Amino acid sequence: MTEDKIIRIQPVTRLEGHGELTIKMTKAGKVKDVQFNVSSTRFFEKFLEGRFAEETPRIAARICGICPEPHHLAATKAVEAAWDITPPPAAIKLRRLLINAKQYSSHALHFFALAAPDFLAGPLGDPAKRNVVAIIKALPDVGKMALQVMQFGQELCAAIGGKAIHPVTSVPGGMLNPFSEEKRDEYLKRVQDAKEWTLKTVDLAKKVVQDYWDPITKLAVTPTYYLGMHNKGNLEIYDGNLRVMDPTGKIVADFKPKDYRKYYGEYVANHSYATHVYYKPDGYPKGIWRANSLARCNVADKMATPLAQGALQEMRDALGRPIHATFAYHWARIIELVQAIEEIEGLLKDPDIVSTDVKLSDVKPKKGDGVGCVEAPRGTLIHHYWTDERGIITKANMVVATNNNIAGLEKSLLMTAKQVLEDKAHESLKLPEPMI
Amino acid sequence: MPKRIALAQLSSCWGCDQSLVDLHLGLLDVLPELDIVFWPAVVDYKLKDLEALPKGSVHIGLVEGSCRTKEDEHILKVMREKCKVLVAWGSCSVLGGVQGLGNQWDFKELLERKFMKADTVTDPRIPEENLPGFAEHIFPNPSIVPFEVLLPGCPPTSQNTLDALTALLTNKPFDLPNKTVCDQCPMERKEKHIKTFHRVYEGKIEPGKCILDQGYLCLGFATIGLCGAQCPSVNTPCKGCFGPPPAITDHGAKIISALGAIAEMEPEKLEASFPDPIGSFYFTDYASSYLSKMKGKNRGKKK
Repeated sequence: MTEDKIIRIQPVTRLEGHGELTIKMTKAGKVKDVQFNVSSTRFFEKFLEGRFAEETPRIAARICGICPEPHHLAATKAVEAAWDITPPPAAIKLRRLLINAKQYSSHALHFFALAAPDFLAGPLGDPAKRNVVAIIKALPDVGKMALQVMQFGQELCAAIGGKAIHPVTSVPGGMLNPFSEEKRDEYLKRVQDAKEWTLKTVDLAKKVVQDYWDPITKLAVTPTYYLGMHNKGNLEIYDGNLRVMDPTGKIVADFKPKDYRKYYGEYVANHSYATHVYYKPDGYPKGIWRANSLARCNVADKMATPLAQGALQEMRDALGRPIHATFAYHWARIIELVQAIEEIEGLLKDPDIVSTDVKLSDVKPKKGDGVGCVEAPRGTLIHHYWTDERGIITKANMVVATNNNIAGLEKSLLMTAKQVLEDKAHESLKLPEPMI
Repeated sequence: MPKRIALAQLSSCWGCDQSLVDLHLGLLDVLPELDIVFWPAVVDYKLKDLEALPKGSVHIGLVEGSCRTKEDEHILKVMREKCKVLVAWGSCSVLGGVQGLGNQWDFKELLERKFMKADTVTDPRIPEENLPGFAEHIFPNPSIVPFEVLLPGCPPTSQNTLDALTALLTNKPFDLPNKTVCDQCPMERKEKHIKTFHRVYEGKIEPGKCILDQGYLCLGFATIGLCGAQCPSVNTPCKGCFGPPPAITDHGAKIISALGAIAEMEPEKLEASFPDPIGSFYFTDYASSYLSKMKGKNRGKKK
């Protein structure tokens, strides 16, 4: 063995899922390798086989309890594509409302509960205080607003999906439950507060960016490819084409999700149960891409809504395009939070949202295969199902959001480990006084 | 004095955690009562911190997820050792969860589908380095270590978890009800004349009326009434994700016998209506079925 030291972080905390970190060092104190070990998987690809295809939106939702809505909808869309059916337009609007509500609550959860503790307590802060529970205690106003933002999104998810965690109402052919006028009116009222909180969150995020400008622009600036959905150039999360941008900022592919197998490769690393997804034409590791908020903001020409577009422009003015700064993922997340609330407001104001014409009644299964693609908060999500003539699943392939990020994350961690462990970057970076 | 609490996540979707967080402003009342000593989803304590705690020093332990990996089994045993009151939290923990459906196959087939045969995989191999290795068969956690409290649900509602925590914090018992989802369901029920079962994409479910009466498989009659009939209330059939009430030991067996009694059709037609009985009748609890337990035993013997 040439390495004399192995650092293991077990588990990586404030993470959705099961991950551990292994840093291998040489005797001379050089970082040799960094592994992000995803330590669990449950084999949905196999146990979906033999099931009624129309039940997959409910089974596959269980892949993720934080983002079940994208799985619920990607599964529905995959079956609809396989059976060649188009749901009524009002059903699609309800689904868009559902996925935006999830984008909203998930981004808020990520920002406040998973990420903010690093910035408010500071990276060198006491681990016992580096969590959202401590934030709620130390900064009750911020804590309360965080909880209200998450609550709005989760309750809206439940109002459309029946349950926020593992929604149930989307089926091939439409939605089982229309949105009542009464509920629509309730959320139209509540959306004004939510918008206000969102703008306050933007201010908080901007302050974090200012305070941490040094680490944001110097630490973990990692060029990769980027993958994300767009609709005529606008950032899109429910239905659109996929774009791949190379590290220089050039769009190298723009394709329909059903053709994903031409562009997607899954490298099985020996040290992770989650595969490393990459841009297949350029091979592994050259073609390593990242998805999620920053990737979507990189590949899209612009945001789909005006306030969000203003926020994106601010980020591009500061950091350019493409942005490789890993910490800018948080900033991009807040820009998408703004788009989500604007989309929610627009959809609530659309009279079709309370239409009762939300489900076809003459759906027939057929033998075939279909791809369902949406953007989950953590990145592009693909469900690909094959069904027989009875509408039973015979095969499934799924490329879930997070897997698009594992290789990029590892690359970013390797760079950071070198900067911190070899060059002691944390001693020279300008860090603000911790707020808690 | 706040009580010491540990929350551990075995293989799962983390929906139980999200459900607890979904108490939102309600958290402000609960959090001061709790001294969190382990909760990787939210707090930065590591596994070694949990391992270093004295035996029995944690008042309440919540275990989410089931044992798909050897590390899951280790964490489960550590939690048992450290916690006075151990709660099996959610259907994965109590019943094995949706991943229990994988027990239908030899484990090798699961590995091959994912790592060797997936359409987009370019470098097939079974990952091994710095990884825990898998448990070949999913067993419900209570058949691995004893638990004081069971709280099924996929996930349990925020209120369910709050009720259980409140009982434990005030030293009151927390028992599961023997009622069913039907007992909580607001839909209007009439006499059943089911001549054909429809699949959920067929026709339209009429709002306000019993979904099973309309010929859609709604499993409320065999499923524990803890959720408040969330799905039937939004015009969607119950899939049984909370598992059966305590008096029923095998969810699917109960469903099959009940359907035999209520469906007005030949047994052959009934059988043909459900070509996937395991998926249809054991959504989150196949691992706790008699069939799966037998298979698990036989796997053990083969070794």
